Amino acid sequence: MSQIVRAFRPTVDKDKCVKCGNCQTYCPEGTAMLRDGEEVVFDYRFCKGCGVCANECPVDAISMVKEA
Amino acid sequence: MSFTRMMEGNEAAAWGARLSRAEVVPAYPITPQTEVISHIATFIAEGKMKAQYIKVEGEHTAMAAAVGASVAGARVFTASASQGIAYMEEALWMPPGRRLPIVMCMVNRALAPIGGLRPDHNDSLMQRDNGWIQLYCENSQEVLDTIIMAYRIGEDRRVYLPVAPCYDGYFVSATATPTTVPDQAEVDEFLPPYVHEMYSLMPESYRPRPFEMNIAKARYEVQQAHERAKAVIEEVDVEYSKRFGRGYDGLLEEYACDDVDAVLMTMGSMTGTARDVVDEMQADGKKIGLLKLRGFRPFPTEELQGLAKRFHAIGVVDRNTSYGSAGGGIVSMEVARALYPLEDRPLLLNFHVGLGGSDVTMRQIGYMADKTLEAVETGRVEKAVDWVELVDLGEVM
Amino acid sequence: METNRLFDEYYENSYIQGGTACCPGCGGPLFWRMTLEALGPKTIIYGDGPCAYCAIRNIKLPNFGIHFSFVADGSTGILAALAAKGREDITVVSSGGDGAIGDISFGKVSAAAERNENMIQICVDNEAYMNTGIQKSGLTPFGAWTTTTPLGKEAPKKEIPLIIAQHRVPYVATTSVAYPRDLQAKMKKASGIQGFKYLHTVIPCPTGWRFDPAKSVEVVRLGVETWVWPLYEIEDGVLRLTLKPKQRPVEDYLKAQNRFRHLSDDQIKFIQSETDTRRKRLLENDGKRIIL
Repeated sequence: MSQIVRAFRPTVDKDKCVKCGNCQTYCPEGTAMLRDGEEVVFDYRFCKGCGVCANECPVDAISMVKEA
Repeated sequence: MSFTRMMEGNEAAAWGARLSRAEVVPAYPITPQTEVISHIATFIAEGKMKAQYIKVEGEHTAMAAAVGASVAGARVFTASASQGIAYMEEALWMPPGRRLPIVMCMVNRALAPIGGLRPDHNDSLMQRDNGWIQLYCENSQEVLDTIIMAYRIGEDRRVYLPVAPCYDGYFVSATATPTTVPDQAEVDEFLPPYVHEMYSLMPESYRPRPFEMNIAKARYEVQQAHERAKAVIEEVDVEYSKRFGRGYDGLLEEYACDDVDAVLMTMGSMTGTARDVVDEMQADGKKIGLLKLRGFRPFPTEELQGLAKRFHAIGVVDRNTSYGSAGGGIVSMEVARALYPLEDRPLLLNFHVGLGGSDVTMRQIGYMADKTLEAVETGRVEKAVDWVELVDLGEVM
Repeated sequence: METNRLFDEYYENSYIQGGTACCPGCGGPLFWRMTLEALGPKTIIYGDGPCAYCAIRNIKLPNFGIHFSFVADGSTGILAALAAKGREDITVVSSGGDGAIGDISFGKVSAAAERNENMIQICVDNEAYMNTGIQKSGLTPFGAWTTTTPLGKEAPKKEIPLIIAQHRVPYVATTSVAYPRDLQAKMKKASGIQGFKYLHTVIPCPTGWRFDPAKSVEVVRLGVETWVWPLYEIEDGVLRLTLKPKQRPVEDYLKAQNRFRHLSDDQIKFIQSETDTRRKRLLENDGKRIIL
């Protein structure tokens, strides 16, 4: 498996999130998931920080935060 | 029921594929192979052979389709020649590297330019480095028998390598000689169905191809398969001979070599003519024998080294050219390397003859034999590489 | 960790492991995840191609590849083996990139179409030879910058879907990862049809098209909305537009990618007029037989 190195990681503001599932639908790697239709979680083992989830979120609930 | 009749090499090859119950046949025509695939098409149309016949649009595709079918678990047969073999070159490296026991007849034909439709061996010898097993057949009977044996050899779990029965275009492919076609049931007993232990593409049993990251290790494995193949080829030959009454001495056959000073080494159809010449010369008291090189890959190094004590000179006949080589034709260079470690080496002469498929005559063979015997007498080689066709032997060609 | 297990299960069920070697934002893994969900586990994938392999390597279903010069060849062999074994329950998918299908394997795909091989042939089109560092292919669009067309590609893009349709195959379609329901419906439909099915999909490439990876899906959505990438299917020679978006100016699409940064106003006008003509012809022929 490739070593994943990223500059930014996605974080979700749960208050803004409307649970549409766009992030899961459009994440190229499948590392964003709307679990049980309730909560958005990310697989930081494999997420590349591309930002598509943040871009596709209709309510700007996802922000790309600089990796520590 | 087994039967015997006059049969051309290409038809014999088609019978070999049919009796071996080949399941997938990618087919693209090229002279002098074409009848192989047209006979197979007829067999299938008549319901006598059950195989998927893929009418591909080129040889590059034919070999790739063969690879796909073999990985997916089918026994594959195909055939090509010359330009077709060259066109599929990229794909030809796949089966040996991926250990796929495809059987492909290489119906020898000279490569362009300075070639034509008639046979010489550059097209198959060009494949010497990529790992295909190569067995050179002298006549239609040997073609048929070798194809059946080829599947036993290639599919043996100690081997898992593709095998190319090679035979001369026209001289074998289109010349009819008496050929015995064995009984299907007997062949079935000899050749079980194809099962590959390393692969499965079926969803319920998916086994991806084994992947060795270390390239040297991976290549060494293929080399070792060739080493093991030597014994397997002998074993299969012995079993075939017991069952069907016909054997070919595995990789190297010695003919009339009991008490000789020198030998000629030939490959392919010219061997038949050479046998007659050697018989005649021995009747005249000349101590010349014949070695038939059947297996070019794996090369029978140890066997040749063992035989070498029995003669003082070897004349290697090359029906091929290797421009700019270290010395002479392709087979002679293999022989040189095989004999090099021996303390007491026979003298080595190399002859180029039959290039572009010109006829190899009895007189030419006699000339080569004489030159080799001469070397024994004088203790030295007058001409290391002799282009026989450029020597005027007084024949009308 | 609970999320880890959750995701591991998710990857198993979607038949593709997250964390490919593809560039961040590449549409390739996204395409495969959508496609595999539609096709299900009784599938064998034959595919190769430098960029594509970064995604295919992560697929958990049986897969196999040779080189991109052999598109449709290996799968032809696989189909023959399956037929010999009497396995009619397995879907065979063959995949190749634009460099493969547009150029080096063009003849191969045409031949497989002519033989009406029972495969779903996919073209993952990122519009250039990307893995070797962005070189022009036959499917690079007019005007695009690549390292071998630094002043912009001179020739227009080859119209592969129409060429294949003219081979009289039962099904041809264009798809986009920005429209997953459309994509999956087409995949499902294709898997139920006997014969050669061709699905051409645009794969957004942030690296080669020069845009922020986050805009990946947005860019291909713009492609559809501007009618540069019309979504249609051709079933037994009859055209059907599966989406008729309100047309946006091509400039919106072109300005979103730096590979078109150098285009002059005249060139943009030219692209607009070409796109307008295509849109008009597609709309005129919607519902009609468009092959000879």
